[in-house]
Amino acid sequence: MNSDAVIAVQDLRKSYGQVEAVKGIDFEVRAGEVFGILGPNGAGKTSTVEILEGLRPRTGGDARVLGYDPERQKQQLKDRIGVCLQATNLPAKIRAQEALDLFGSFYSRSISSEKLLHRLQLWEKRSAFYETLSGGQKQRLALALALVNDPQLLFLDEPTTGLDPQIRLEIHNLVEELKSEKRTVVLTTHYIEEAERLCDRVAIMDEGKIVTMGTPRELQQKSREQSRIQIVTTQPLNAVQLPQWPDAVQTSLDGDGRQLTVYSTRPARTLFEMMRWLDQQGIQLEDVHLKRPTLEDVFVEITGKKLRE
Amino acid sequence: MKTYLSLITIDLKLASRLRTVIVFTYIFPLMFFFIFATVFGVRQNPKVMTYVLTMSITLGVLANGLFGAGIRALQERELNILRRYKVTPITPVPLLVASMVTGWVIFMPYIVLVICLAHFIYHMPWPVQLPSLLVFISIGLIAFRSIGLVIASVANTMQEGTILVQLCYFPMLFLSGATLPAIMFPHFLRVISNFIPATYLVSGMQGIMLRSEDLVTDWRWVVALIVTTLVGVTVGTKLFRWEKEEKIRGSAKLWVVVALLPFLLLGLWQSYAGHIVIRTDIFGR
Repeated sequence: MNSDAVIAVQDLRKSYGQVEAVKGIDFEVRAGEVFGILGPNGAGKTSTVEILEGLRPRTGGDARVLGYDPERQKQQLKDRIGVCLQATNLPAKIRAQEALDLFGSFYSRSISSEKLLHRLQLWEKRSAFYETLSGGQKQRLALALALVNDPQLLFLDEPTTGLDPQIRLEIHNLVEELKSEKRTVVLTTHYIEEAERLCDRVAIMDEGKIVTMGTPRELQQKSREQSRIQIVTTQPLNAVQLPQWPDAVQTSLDGDGRQLTVYSTRPARTLFEMMRWLDQQGIQLEDVHLKRPTLEDVFVEITGKKLRE
Repeated sequence: MKTYLSLITIDLKLASRLRTVIVFTYIFPLMFFFIFATVFGVRQNPKVMTYVLTMSITLGVLANGLFGAGIRALQERELNILRRYKVTPITPVPLLVASMVTGWVIFMPYIVLVICLAHFIYHMPWPVQLPSLLVFISIGLIAFRSIGLVIASVANTMQEGTILVQLCYFPMLFLSGATLPAIMFPHFLRVISNFIPATYLVSGMQGIMLRSEDLVTDWRWVVALIVTTLVGVTVGTKLFRWEKEEKIRGSAKLWVVVALLPFLLLGLWQSYAGHIVIRTDIFGR
């Protein structure tokens, strides 16, 4: 185990009867990093995370979280971590501040509810009943509850699922704040852009296994998929002989000949050469798009499936 | 201790905000209190007030225990509220204890109220053994709440829980002498009533009020209620489930029988000795 590893997992397994949900996975999460677990529904993400949170027993393998065995030392572990679960509720008639005070009383240390309400922009809603809060406010309250014991390690299980883009952005900002405070965050999600934006490292899971792991950039670079350069010109290129640009692996023109698509392994170099060629030919440019392979592309390439299947 | 106090405080606040709690804990039993006091002509025979009072209190205890504790615990699991508690360092014990204490705190003002109403409106004499009566009702309430919690522990769904609660509630309501006067019962029903936990609650309260018995006189019933509480809390803790997805096997429902075992044994003993626990003398004017 790495000395700065907050979580260390070796050959972790989980079965539900005959169904093997987690099939022997290994990974480490370092202090202060945002570690993403990405995968489609049923990939084993939630089972993995719930074992690490001390909520489920494992079937095999070993796991250490903050030095604790999540199965045998669950109370000590739960006292030190913050958890935002995917589907939870609070009593309809509890007020936001009461919920924070109540949950704060369960821990050996806690942050004042006033501070958390301000931080999560819920101060105006402190006296509102839970049933009257909007979806975004409920999720912010769930995050405030996860922070109530001032944890150094947080598990956020699909924290933005079903929320509108504005709330999602607010939650992304909060995760970035947590990261800047040097807290370790384990984030499960099936939103690609969320993982790409927030995570220092990502493990992609499918059918109970980690199919690949690394920084988002490393994973994108591992992809055989090339970046796609798409340019739109003012005049058709059908009549022009297109050159072989450096590192370009595939070139195609659309129907009216004004949209040129080039796949490249080194898009910056290819694009530069394309611009130079267009300039030499006196062809005017109308639009340019560059699309790098996403984690979704990596996932599709490895598993042959889409993340949201 | 901080956890227990916080949970009890919040449970009390939540209960005070729910209209159903107010209606089922105070208004409904009070309505029955006045209706039955009128129907049974309590003003002509204050002794019958004991019956009305017992009936009204038993209705409240059963509703508070089986529905208040049992169905509410099931609701919290079905709505994923307990799942939120699961990620914290607490065990089921503070949740169960808070449920017991809250039920007691909510219910005791009602007891004091109906005793006062019985005295001031219907001229029922103050029970000689008032402290024994209050302690006995408290023990009974806690015991029936623990039965409710066992039902919540063994039921996999709200539907199952409702069926189990009804299966316990109606026999206790009708065969314990709480609602139907035992004088109407044929002998075999009186024997069956020996096995119904609520019979001991009803009979114990009537004994304290009518014959000035105390907790020592009714010690076997007190012990049965306390043992039921202990078994109930133990089983409730052991089988406690935080999430609706955690299902329990069908045979686990037999734990309800285990929680009721003290009364089954007591019923066997009473029947073997030829005793009938249920009282038939109240309407013997």
